Amino acid sequence: MSSGGLWLIIGAVSLAVFSLAVLATSLGAGVVGAILGLGGGILLVPILTVFYGVDLHYAMGASIISVIATSSGAAASYLRTGLSNLRIGLFLVVATISGALVGAVLAGVVPTRWLELILGLALSYSAYTTVRQLGDELPEGVSTDRLAIRFGLEGTYNDLRLGRHVTYRARNVAGGFVAMFGAGMLSGMLGIGSGAFKVLAMDYLMRLPMKVSTATSNFMIGLTAAASAGIYFSRGDIHVMIVAPVAIGVMAGAYVGTHLIAYMRNTTVRKLFLPIVVYLALSMILRGLGIHLL
Amino acid sequence: MSPSRASHTAVEHLVARVLLVGGLAGLALIALGMGLYAARGGFGHQVLALRREPGPPPPGVFTSMRQIARGLQQRPIDPLAVGALGLVALMLTPGLAVTLAIAGFLAARDVRHATIAAFVLAMLLVSLLLAGAVH
Repeated sequence: MSSGGLWLIIGAVSLAVFSLAVLATSLGAGVVGAILGLGGGILLVPILTVFYGVDLHYAMGASIISVIATSSGAAASYLRTGLSNLRIGLFLVVATISGALVGAVLAGVVPTRWLELILGLALSYSAYTTVRQLGDELPEGVSTDRLAIRFGLEGTYNDLRLGRHVTYRARNVAGGFVAMFGAGMLSGMLGIGSGAFKVLAMDYLMRLPMKVSTATSNFMIGLTAAASAGIYFSRGDIHVMIVAPVAIGVMAGAYVGTHLIAYMRNTTVRKLFLPIVVYLALSMILRGLGIHLL
Repeated sequence: MSPSRASHTAVEHLVARVLLVGGLAGLALIALGMGLYAARGGFGHQVLALRREPGPPPPGVFTSMRQIARGLQQRPIDPLAVGALGLVALMLTPGLAVTLAIAGFLAARDVRHATIAAFVLAMLLVSLLLAGAVH
């Protein structure tokens, strides 16, 4: 087997054991990803590289597929139940994909360390605002945002936890759009997943219910991942034997996650999301200081 | 329910169905490939290359549709090519969902959202072309 990774400490094991272990790990990543609107890459890449000794390139290839699998598994269910908002998702994907393309062009031109530091500080502020909003179950008041009305960025879902239909409309659409463009650009330049930024922008800037934010992010990340999957594929970063158990596990996990979130409070989802923001903020600040966690 | 509201849910159900069917089709092919691989005793080997070495890609890494097609035409069939076909199906699913969303919005005479979806699809195609350029 490969060199490196804690896997060697456990000892060389058969491919069957490796696949089952990755399958179980991915199942967990799928559950978390579906609930928090992340592709699971933030969890899978470190686990695959550090614990299983998988090459970073293969781990990132597996992560891209896991994002698409989570998105397909979760968004299909969320769109049917109204938790994922197709119009808001498509509207914002325009910003993230354009941003990602601009970011890919700028990569290598702009020094990334300063960007990482700034992003880390911005995320620290987001963590602070998330803490302040922890107790808010649903946004209060009615949005009169012109763009939201013009583009129909509103919706209704049946909240099984609250036992009633929740109607909402996006606020600060222009701000959300700009933030999404920035998130896409940074993810294109720094090679980091942007699921967390999407959730933050929808929750904090556009004031959508937290569950709508994570569910809509689930739909969006599938599209942004599909945009870069071809590049990973043709670069030879997608290894069938590594990706297969990831895809199967993540999709099954996402299915479980969609059922769990239906009975969760918005505040619970936000509490689960907070550690992700703190981790991202810390890792970006450390990267800016020249310390890579991976 | 107003007509616009009804068409709203119709498009969402259509996209949901494409994501589900595409995802499950990809998953079925991946599972089939892994099943065939297991039947050949593949999982008993310890030859999985977890490192990405320079040189020709190891078995299990496909970099073009042509390579996958070659594996599918082999007799006995290459189980890893079947799995790779499933992965490609999974990768194409979001794009297919957006394509049908355009049709759904147009059917509901919602030109604004059809245009937005068309822009997203165009961006996906641009990135696919960039991927081709990398290869």
